[in-house]
Amino acid sequence: MILQSSKSKEMITVNQNEMVVDEGLLHDIMLNSPSLHHLPQTTHYNYNYNYNPFDDTTVSWINDDVSSPSQSQLTSTALHLPPPPPPPPLIDHQQTELLLPTEQQQQVEEDSAIRLVHMLISCADSLQRGHVAHAASLIDAMQSLQRHVTTASAIGKVAAHFIGALTRRIFAPPLTDRHGGVGAVANDDGGVLYHHFYEACPYLKFAHFTANQAILEAFSGHSSVHVVDFHLAHGLQWPPLIQALALRPGGPPSLRITGIGPPSPDRRDALRETGIRLAELARSVNVRFAFRGVAASRLEDVEPWMLQVRQEEAVAINSVMQLHRLLGSDSGIDSVLGWIRRLNPKIVTVVEQEANHNQTGFLERFTEALHYYSAVFDSLEACPNEPDKSLAEMYLEREIGNVVCCEGPARVERHEPLAQWKARLEKSGFKCVGLGSNALRQASMLLSLFSAEGYCVEEKEGCLTLGWHGRPLIAASAWQPFPLTPDPHPHPHWLP
Amino acid sequence: MKQEKRQRFFINDNIDILREILKRLDGASLGVAACVCRLWCSLARNDDSLWEHLCFRHVSGPPAASVKSVVLALGGYKRLYMVCVRPVLSRLGAESESDRRRVRWRREEVPVAVVVQLSLSLFCIDSYERLHGNNNAAGGIIPSDASASSLMFLCNPINV
Repeated sequence: MILQSSKSKEMITVNQNEMVVDEGLLHDIMLNSPSLHHLPQTTHYNYNYNYNPFDDTTVSWINDDVSSPSQSQLTSTALHLPPPPPPPPLIDHQQTELLLPTEQQQQVEEDSAIRLVHMLISCADSLQRGHVAHAASLIDAMQSLQRHVTTASAIGKVAAHFIGALTRRIFAPPLTDRHGGVGAVANDDGGVLYHHFYEACPYLKFAHFTANQAILEAFSGHSSVHVVDFHLAHGLQWPPLIQALALRPGGPPSLRITGIGPPSPDRRDALRETGIRLAELARSVNVRFAFRGVAASRLEDVEPWMLQVRQEEAVAINSVMQLHRLLGSDSGIDSVLGWIRRLNPKIVTVVEQEANHNQTGFLERFTEALHYYSAVFDSLEACPNEPDKSLAEMYLEREIGNVVCCEGPARVERHEPLAQWKARLEKSGFKCVGLGSNALRQASMLLSLFSAEGYCVEEKEGCLTLGWHGRPLIAASAWQPFPLTPDPHPHPHWLP
Repeated sequence: MKQEKRQRFFINDNIDILREILKRLDGASLGVAACVCRLWCSLARNDDSLWEHLCFRHVSGPPAASVKSVVLALGGYKRLYMVCVRPVLSRLGAESESDRRRVRWRREEVPVAVVVQLSLSLFCIDSYERLHGNNNAAGGIIPSDASASSLMFLCNPINV
């Protein structure tokens, strides 16, 4: 269904610079739909077309949806959302010649956004029940409804990504590709996207600075230290640690970094290049430094002997958004936590997304993901426009694709909330080390440098979370293994 | 009546005194001073100790000797001030021209040293990324136009 104006063939144009969307708008839509009072402050649309949100066929079909008991049950109990508002009456022919006043247009946008959210959830519900044809027709309806919601807004983007993910889930065969079919950048493996995500919003910076603070405190007094990074990427976490170690009272220790990362697709050795850069930096500030790269496409494939840990050095394990990838099989996470523990590290820093995307039920997972990524995109919207955010959004799109489309071993984005990680780590023999007031203060100061109001850092039982408008989105914690009984037969991975 | 010819005093003949004066200026004034004449400009540009005083002016006690070598290795005090210290201080609501030793931030008094520490960390990331840019001839991961700098968020005016 294409919308065309009677007078001209103008497409909808929105003067993006002037459209100011209330930051909490999307979040509020997700939480309590009746709040249509949060209207964007100024909107300049250039609409000039026949306004007809729904085809005749779609209207009746949606009415059916509303009246079905499963739908209303769904909306009123499981999700605490009110039943979707009835569609507005079709504007009769005489009125279509007039331009709609701005407020009504905003109303249209809001209504469409809310309706999209409802339709997304009911589509997921149909998929869960196996009604694939119904889900497919919902996708069509959503795609036409999507034209009313500008993709410059956060909800437009989120909706587009989720609709795309659902489409792939329905129409594409079961995916073995980790990326859920998004983009043809199979070679990239996320290097560039990760970097843009690092720059565009504070989540990764918060993770790095907080983990570094814990590692620095754990290393105090040791002259030989070794950091194992589960995902080296461009090594952006380590320059501040190198600098802090260089300046620590008593002089710098000798530092070794072992970086784990996926193997490079082309002939380049990305890990080695990053290692060389880190070595350059360390050399310039007079810190004795050594680097080792371990290329492994999955974390489960890493064996402790590859890390070449020496007995006299203090070890820190750093995992930023990597442990959840192991949750595909119970044995994966247990074996990795087991060998971590046997290495007897001084500190294990764990940063994970604060969301429950590992539920077995598809609908619960989908709904949770919708809430979570709406908050993330909202927060991204509030960040400054430079640097360019589109690649950061693509990074998130990949995550969404993986959560929604993939199943089995292909689904690696199995986020779990902090409470579950705590239980898991405690069961494996670790105890939580409080992150301390220094870390909290540093994180808060770092956040205040971002010109977006709305981010909040909270401390809870020694762990820090960074969130958006009260909703925690990423959680950082530090752990130490309980002392092991001394082993009369040292493990083969200890080097003499 | 014989008039004594007064010896005129040109500040530019006494660079030590000039340096001492410029050391006590704040950042904005130092920038203005650099526009006065070529001598002042070259002093402001090349003499890193002026900027060192600016960075650590409000920190009680002299910074450790190791700080200097680290900062110089990472790019120098002038860059540290321009890229990190000045935006950080202004974002955190401190008036860098005041004589206070502490910054009032979120109803808490934070020693300026802590702020400078944060600036140093960010400065280190900046320096590392510039290393990235230089090594990109072989086609690195980051595009060599290096407009993607992690510190760009500091350049943006704050949305009050």
